[in-house]
Amino acid sequence: MRALATSGGPWEVLGYRELLLSLTWRDLRVRYKQSLLGIAWAVLLPLSMMLVFTFVFTRAIDARSVLHVDMPYALFAYAGLVPWTFFSMSLSGCVNSLVANRNLVTKVYFPREVFPLSCVGSCLVDFGIAMSVLVGLMVFFHLRGDWAFVPSWALMFLPVVLLVQITLTVGVGMLLAMANLFYRDVRQIFGVVIQLWMFVSAVVVPVPRDGTWLATLISLNPLVPLIGAYRDCVIYGRMPAATGFVYATVVAVILLAGGWVCFRRASYKFAECI
Amino acid sequence: MSIPAVHFNEVSKRFRLGATHDSLRDLLSSGVRRVFRRGAGSNGRDTFWALRDVDFSVAQGEAVGIIGPNGAGKSTVLKLLAGILRPDGGEVRVCGRLAALIEVGAGFHGDLTGRENIFLNGAIMGMSRAEIRRNLDAIVDFAGIERFLDMPVKRYSSGMYARLGFSIASHVDPDVLLVDEVLSVGDAVFRLRCADRMHELVRRGTTLVFVTHNLDQMQSICRRAVVLDHGRTVFAGASREAVGHYLQAMSKAYTTQPTDMTAEDHEDVQAAELVNVRFVNAAGEELVWVRSRDEIRAEVTFRMRRPVSRLVVELNMRASVNENLISINSGRDGRTFDVAEGVQTVALSLPALPVSGGQYFWNVRMWDANRGTTELDTPFRFPLVVDDEGRATGVLCLEHEWTTLEKGAVRSVARSSVEPAAVRAGACCEDLHLQ
Repeated sequence: MRALATSGGPWEVLGYRELLLSLTWRDLRVRYKQSLLGIAWAVLLPLSMMLVFTFVFTRAIDARSVLHVDMPYALFAYAGLVPWTFFSMSLSGCVNSLVANRNLVTKVYFPREVFPLSCVGSCLVDFGIAMSVLVGLMVFFHLRGDWAFVPSWALMFLPVVLLVQITLTVGVGMLLAMANLFYRDVRQIFGVVIQLWMFVSAVVVPVPRDGTWLATLISLNPLVPLIGAYRDCVIYGRMPAATGFVYATVVAVILLAGGWVCFRRASYKFAECI
Repeated sequence: MSIPAVHFNEVSKRFRLGATHDSLRDLLSSGVRRVFRRGAGSNGRDTFWALRDVDFSVAQGEAVGIIGPNGAGKSTVLKLLAGILRPDGGEVRVCGRLAALIEVGAGFHGDLTGRENIFLNGAIMGMSRAEIRRNLDAIVDFAGIERFLDMPVKRYSSGMYARLGFSIASHVDPDVLLVDEVLSVGDAVFRLRCADRMHELVRRGTTLVFVTHNLDQMQSICRRAVVLDHGRTVFAGASREAVGHYLQAMSKAYTTQPTDMTAEDHEDVQAAELVNVRFVNAAGEELVWVRSRDEIRAEVTFRMRRPVSRLVVELNMRASVNENLISINSGRDGRTFDVAEGVQTVALSLPALPVSGGQYFWNVRMWDANRGTTELDTPFRFPLVVDDEGRATGVLCLEHEWTTLEKGAVRSVARSSVEPAAVRAGACCEDLHLQ
């Protein structure tokens, strides 16, 4: 005899893998339906952002003196923007994931974790596509002689970096989805915060390392070592610095565990409070 | 005794009245208030019990109906069973795989095609991809949407949408199926097919919990029923008896909460303004609950703004959503009324109301026959609950007699227990007379 679905354990969501895949697929399908370029947007979005920032920082303003970048800036920006886009798009999907699916939340039962998870899942597909373009970009700069790319075993560490990022994203995403269900202000605040977050995450500009209190504060941001780790593994071909990466991993695990517990505790109120 | 498939053990569910905090500003302001009021009177008054100690169980393979007036807590029961809500007291247990059809096509996405939505909704209902693929033809066939399978469902008609939703849910092949008033959608043919499908599932051993206002359908599918009223179980037992309890609950709902009888949506140009519609029995007592074989009189009281020499009065009755079941027009009877200014009453007497048990609604219309202008047209908001004493399902409750024919001889076997003068089909229109 199976007890009522709500009393399923914390691993209940694992029994809903097919549903998770279906909803991920739905998110992707819906996102690129009725658009001419379709899934190409997964690449075009970070690519065009990269062009914008490359133009701004290397042509429009004289910022080379502040940007201590030892690789072609376009490469630096793209390698930051792809994981950043994965992170920010996932979260902005998560914020709305419960509220936008009100119909399902109030009319059908399945573990609510499926909603934020499917958001992250669909952005992960975009991430994979955009990441493959990074390879093309590296070949381009290699051929032009701007950057000598040396393949390295460090590339094998990339899945670990990705896993840590997913852990972090899901943890924060669950908290945001839940918070926005109870208080719709969260979405507005999130819109502002995510803008600021980008500029303190070494996505398009390196973060300051001059020992001021602000620099210390910024170094607490787990995304700094994470995004740096992508550049280390893929472009520099070296292992990321251990301290920063371990710190990011610990933060990610704590956020996932905390976020998940809160989410599960609150989930039985979702249908009433949405 | 085997384990019940569904067990509802003294379940209570409380909802908060009014808005919960939807924005941080509300939270902050209420937090400030709470600090100043020191938590004075925040409980009790702003919550209400949607269910209070509701107790029932459903055996495996049994079909049980849940009926009750609006707001009785029927949908809450289903949502608790489905796990969407969690009870505030008591225990809900469901044994086996559960599929809930609480809203048709709840998981549909308008931009996706019918086929894509079948896979998506199937997954939401708990089917595996392999299962969906196996049932795809049957689902499409049942919904009758073959030609539109690859069209986005946002371009579907509402009927197609509903048919597809029901079709998917009914192919989940659950151990326990919850159905909430979904069969009121779609055309008559589809409604019949839905009912057939539910019969079929029950025959195959699916446990069914069916929330509905359609008493006929409930009785034909479910042998047992639970009657809820204001969150409490009024009756649980044979569905035929349940209907009587339901009708009583209905009539009580109307006596305790009378409809506002003063017309608020009249136009000033109209000569008549409705004051009151009453239903009275032979003794002149006001009724909201009548037996179909009893004599009944409808009294329409209205205020005339100007005298009308040839006023035509029409009374119509319909069941909740259908077309008029009864439409009686004084003009068609060759009768008009010469009414002066001021308050007037016109009464319509019926020797019986030979309709099957249920809830009916009346409206009143008036015309000035000289001018050909409408002088009054109310919505269908005057309720009357009819009890056929369990003698009929269907639309009408006719006087009848059963016999067997043996070698040409007629021997009466059973006679309908109706005592008053026989009511023949069509009699209702001939025997009426206006006072």
